[in-house]
Amino acid sequence: MSSLRFGPVEIKNRLAVKAFKAIDDRFGVKEILDDEVFEKIAPSHLNFWSCFGGISFFLFISQVVTGMLLMIYYQPSVSQAHSSVAMIMNEVPFGWLIRGIHVWGSSLMLITIGVHMAKIYISGIYKAPRELNWVIGVCLFLMTLNLSFTGYLLPWTQLSYWATVVGTETPSAIPVVGEYIRFVLRGGEEIGQMTLTRFFAIHVIILPFVTAGLITLHLMQIRRQGISGPL
Amino acid sequence: MTTEILEAVSNARRRFLSAVLALFSLISVIGVVYPVGLFLWPHRKKVGGVAVRSIKISILEVPIGEAKFVRFLNKAAVIIHPNEQEVLALSAICTHLGCVVKWNGGKKELDCPCHGGRFDIRGNVLSGPPPAPLASYKARVEDEYIVIEEA
Repeated sequence: MSSLRFGPVEIKNRLAVKAFKAIDDRFGVKEILDDEVFEKIAPSHLNFWSCFGGISFFLFISQVVTGMLLMIYYQPSVSQAHSSVAMIMNEVPFGWLIRGIHVWGSSLMLITIGVHMAKIYISGIYKAPRELNWVIGVCLFLMTLNLSFTGYLLPWTQLSYWATVVGTETPSAIPVVGEYIRFVLRGGEEIGQMTLTRFFAIHVIILPFVTAGLITLHLMQIRRQGISGPL
Repeated sequence: MTTEILEAVSNARRRFLSAVLALFSLISVIGVVYPVGLFLWPHRKKVGGVAVRSIKISILEVPIGEAKFVRFLNKAAVIIHPNEQEVLALSAICTHLGCVVKWNGGKKELDCPCHGGRFDIRGNVLSGPPPAPLASYKARVEDEYIVIEEA
């Protein structure tokens, strides 16, 4: 056993093989990697349009990573939010790139989710026994919309401020509970520091955790029900 | 014979494709590590600012028998004005574990809030764990100003 094979690639370097074996003897990762990645045969009926769920998942990971990087410089206070975002864009090396990937990635994620949902709907893949997974998918779509909405306020620009005024005003049209929903969303009567802190917490911790949990369920059901796609 | 040639060609192609894969993987890794590394590295312009090499403040800001804390060489420093003739400037960073000392106006000494180190106005250790006296800077009075420079 002096070489390792990962699909088409063979590794012969003795040290690398030894190091990998030491881990594999304890965790058994090779078996999982072979089953799920390298030796996995994708069903022949899959096509270009089947890839959009996986692309959305990739974009979610990209959003998490770039979001973590942005948090290193972003300051969630009314007086500092805009200047810290300006600093990321103008002074921090490659800050424009990291934030650009985060901003464009959020729009791109909504597009890929839209294509994914259209493909599932048109192909009728939501039918039994996959109805509940469709429901989870719709929840994931709503999570993404909420992530976009809460993230929009964080740079604290005129555009994001007034978009949040309108966005939090909208639910107040609901009879009886509307006014309370607006009050809770804003953390008070008006948009201010409380709203920014709230949206920041929802954007960087609460929704990402919920979304990651729902994605796990979504993918587990895909494996269980056998909608095997090129993830 | 033909199969041997085909096999040799196929192996050459395999080696070439593996090399291309390795090259593109390397470029991808550099393309992520380089920008993210620079992004994370604290940059001088915002964090800390340019180091001040000399300070000139009005003598009225440090009354006799009092002390004033300033930033000097990007670190905490303290200016002490114990009597009419003398001004002293010390690093305010405790030599034990790096906390910033506080001025004790009653006893005219510098006390470290972390582990109870005590220093006199010249930076000498009075008691506690600090292993060395506080670093001192050159301080002099020029007209109505106190000027601090590196020792």
